[in-house]
Amino acid sequence: MSEKYMKEYEAGYTPKLVMEEASRCLLCHDAPCSKACPAGTDPAKFIRSVRFRNFKGAAETVRINNILGAICARVCPTERYCQQGCSRSGIDKPIDIGRIQRYVTDFEDAMKMDILEKKPLNGKKVTVVGSGPAGLSVAGLLASEGYIVKVYEKEAKAGGYLRYGIPEYRLPSTVVDKEIKRIQKIGVEILLNTPVEDLESLKKENDAVVVAVGHSKGKMLPMFAGKHFVKTAVDFLHDVKRKKGNVKVPENVLVIGGGDVAMDTVTTLRLLGVKQVTDVVYETFDEFKASKKELQGAQDEHVSIIDGYVPVALKGKKVVFNHRFIPAKLEVKADLIILAVGQYTEAGLLGLEVDKLQQVTNAKGNLFVCGDVSPSGEKTVVYAVRSAKETAYAVKKYLGGK
Amino acid sequence: MVKKDLSITFLGVKFPNPFCLSSSPVGNDYDMCKKAYDVGWGGIVFKTIGPKSYVINEVSPRFDTLSKEAEPFVGFKNMEQIAEHSLEENLADLARLKKEYPNQVLIASIMGNDEATWEDLARKVTEAGADMIEMNLSCPQMTSHAMGSDVGSNPELCKRYCQAVKRGSKLPMMAKMTPNITDMVEVAKACLEGGADGIAAINTIKSICNVDLNKKIGMPIVNGKSSISGYSGKAVKPVALRFIQQLRMGIPGVEISGIGGCETWEDAAEFILVGSRTIQVTTGIMQYGYRIVEDMKNGLMHYMEEQKVDHLEQLVGLANKNIIPAEDLDRDYIVYPEIDKDKCVGCGRCYISCYDGAHQAMEWDEDSRRPTCNHDKCVGCLLCGHVCPVGAISQGEIVFKKTAKPGRKIKDIRL
Repeated sequence: MSEKYMKEYEAGYTPKLVMEEASRCLLCHDAPCSKACPAGTDPAKFIRSVRFRNFKGAAETVRINNILGAICARVCPTERYCQQGCSRSGIDKPIDIGRIQRYVTDFEDAMKMDILEKKPLNGKKVTVVGSGPAGLSVAGLLASEGYIVKVYEKEAKAGGYLRYGIPEYRLPSTVVDKEIKRIQKIGVEILLNTPVEDLESLKKENDAVVVAVGHSKGKMLPMFAGKHFVKTAVDFLHDVKRKKGNVKVPENVLVIGGGDVAMDTVTTLRLLGVKQVTDVVYETFDEFKASKKELQGAQDEHVSIIDGYVPVALKGKKVVFNHRFIPAKLEVKADLIILAVGQYTEAGLLGLEVDKLQQVTNAKGNLFVCGDVSPSGEKTVVYAVRSAKETAYAVKKYLGGK
Repeated sequence: MVKKDLSITFLGVKFPNPFCLSSSPVGNDYDMCKKAYDVGWGGIVFKTIGPKSYVINEVSPRFDTLSKEAEPFVGFKNMEQIAEHSLEENLADLARLKKEYPNQVLIASIMGNDEATWEDLARKVTEAGADMIEMNLSCPQMTSHAMGSDVGSNPELCKRYCQAVKRGSKLPMMAKMTPNITDMVEVAKACLEGGADGIAAINTIKSICNVDLNKKIGMPIVNGKSSISGYSGKAVKPVALRFIQQLRMGIPGVEISGIGGCETWEDAAEFILVGSRTIQVTTGIMQYGYRIVEDMKNGLMHYMEEQKVDHLEQLVGLANKNIIPAEDLDRDYIVYPEIDKDKCVGCGRCYISCYDGAHQAMEWDEDSRRPTCNHDKCVGCLLCGHVCPVGAISQGEIVFKKTAKPGRKIKDIRL
C-alpha cells in the first residue's frame, strides 16, 4: 500500500486560512522569529507581506533569503528555530510559520514567478560535489553571482537526502524537482550518474571546488553487522522513496533510534501498512532528539515508542535491551530491524581527512566544504542553506569577488 | 525582484511614489518625518500648522476603535486637532526636512481662522521650503467653529480662503475636503474657483464609535464626557472611494490626492483606479507603523507588472467610466449561485441568510447537510456567496428575465 505514503501528510492553507494565521501574527518589533532562522529567511517580513496581501512580495522575501524556501517550508523543525521565540506564544501558541511559508512558495509556483536573478557570467568556474541541500544551495548562490557552476552527482537523480531520504508524504518529489529546476534555470549544470574520482584534477580544472557530499551513509552497530534482516534507515528510506512506496515489508518491524530519521522510518512503515512497528530509543523522552512534530506524526500513526533503552545483545532475531538508568530489561523479536542511529560521510573516499564529527578537516586553497561535512551546526536542511550562504561568501572572497 | 517606476506627477510636482503621510499625528515633527522618508514614503503632508493665536490644548485620552469579531481595528476615532508645536518649530522642521530630503515631496498643511492668517501661513510655509500646500478645510474636531469642517462645508468661505492662500503663495495647492456633507462637488468647485489646483479627499467622518454601557458615556471618556469626532481607517474606504468618484464625475480632469483607509497595495490601487494620483495614509501607520509602505510599494509594482503598465499614470481613473448611475445598469438578467459541494462544509450559513435576509431560495437537506438553490425563488442577489465561510458559492448560470429586451446573448454579459 503506497497511497498513504505518496500523499502529502499536511494539507496546505487555503487563501482564507493563511490570512487567518497571518492575522494572528503580532507583527513584532525586532521580531524574534527572523532572528532565529539559521538561514535568515526573515519570516517576520514575509508574514507581514501576507498580512498586507502582498503575496508576491512575500514570495520574493522567502526565495531571495532561502534558495530552498519551498523545501524548508515543509521539512524545517520550526519549533526549534523561528517558532521558538514567537511572541504569540505568550497568548496561546506560536504562528505556524512553516505552513505560511508553504502557502507563499506554493503561490510562487502557481504564479510561475522567476525570482532568482543571475548576474552576468564572470568567467570563473566552480564545481560542487554532491547535489543535496547544501550542494544545490551553494551552486545556486554562486550561479546567481555569475560563476559557471557544475554539480557532480553520483546518483541517477539530483537532490541527495531531499530526493532519497525525506519521505514522500513529508516532501513530495515534485517539490524537489521544482526547486532543482529553479536552480538549473539560473545556470547550474548538474551532471548525474557522475561520481567524482579525482578531486585533485577537479581542483586544477576549476577556480574553486566545493565538497558537499553530506552524511550519506547510515551507521551500522557492530552486533548487527552482516545480518540479512537488518538494514540502516538511510537505505530503507532510499529504497521506499525510489520505489514510490512499492516495497515488501514484514508485519513486525523493530526500529532503533529516536531522531528525525527514526521518526520518518517508523511513520513510513505505518503508512505502508506495517502492523506492528516498535521503536526503541536510547534517549528518554526528556532528552528526545526528534522534533515534536515528527514525534507527534509517529504517535498519530500508533507506533510503539519505548524510550531509554540501549541494545546489548542479539539472539537470533531477538534484540535484548537494558534500560540506561533503571534495572529493566526489554526483549524484542522482529522480522526486520532498522537502525536509525546516526550517519557518516564518505568524504574519505575522495582522499579527504574526516574527524570524529564526520567533518572534513583538510579543505585548503581552492577547496571548500559545505553542509554536513563542514562545521555547519545541526544536520538539517535549514543549516545546509546557512552553510551554503557562508561557503558561497567564502568562495567569492577567495576568488576576489565583492 | 520586481522593479517598476512608481513615480507620478501631481499638481506639477513629481513624487517618487504615490504614498504620502496624511496631515495627522504620524507627521508631527522632524524625527517622525525623517523616519518615514527613510522607510520609503514618497511624500509627507506635515501635520497641520495653525495660526500663532490658536492655542492647541488636547484631551487625554483621545482615541477609540471599532472592533468586529476578532478584528480590533476596523475603524478608528480620534480627537486630536492640529500641530501642537510652535509655529517657529514647525517651520524650522519643514526647512530641515526639505534640505535633507530634496527628492521626496514635502507638503505643508495649513489652517487659518481668517483670510489674513491663511495668507500669512501660506507665505511662511513657502519660505520654509515646502513643495506644495494642503489647505485643511475639514478637521471635524476643532475647538473653534471658525476652523475645520465647519468651514469646509461652506463653499463661499472655502473660496475666499483659497484666494487668500493663493495671495500668500504661488505653490501648487490642494484643498482637503470634509466628507461631512452631502455634495462634495459644490465645495470642491468653489475651492478650484478660488485658486486651488487640486483636491484632497477625504478627511475624517464625524462619529461616535462606542458608548460605555455602564457609565453611559461615549468613548473615549474625558472626565465623564465625550465628543463627536473624526472616524478613519479601513471602514471609511468605501466612503472615500465614493466621494472621489463623484469628484471625478462632477469635475472632469480634477487631480486628486486620495485619503481614507488605505492599508494595502490593493487599497492603493483602488484609490488610483477611481482617480487618485497620490494616496495619503494615517490610520494604517498608527496601527502598524511606517513599514506598511514597503508592501504597498512592492505590491503595487507587482500589480503594474500584471497589468503590463510602466507608468502609474496609466492606471489613474480607469474605473471612473465603469461606475455609473444605478438607473443605467443592465437589469435584464439573473446570475444564479453555483454551489461547490466538495468545498461546502455543511454549516448552513447560506441557508440561514437566504431565508432570513433574502428570498428563501436556498433549500437545506437535513441528512446530507448540504444546500441546494431553488431557481424558482432565487433572484440572484448572491448574499449566499458573501456569507459562505469557505468560498464554495460562486456566480453560476446566467438567465435572462422575461422582461429582458429580445435577442440578448449570454456571451455578451460581463460578470
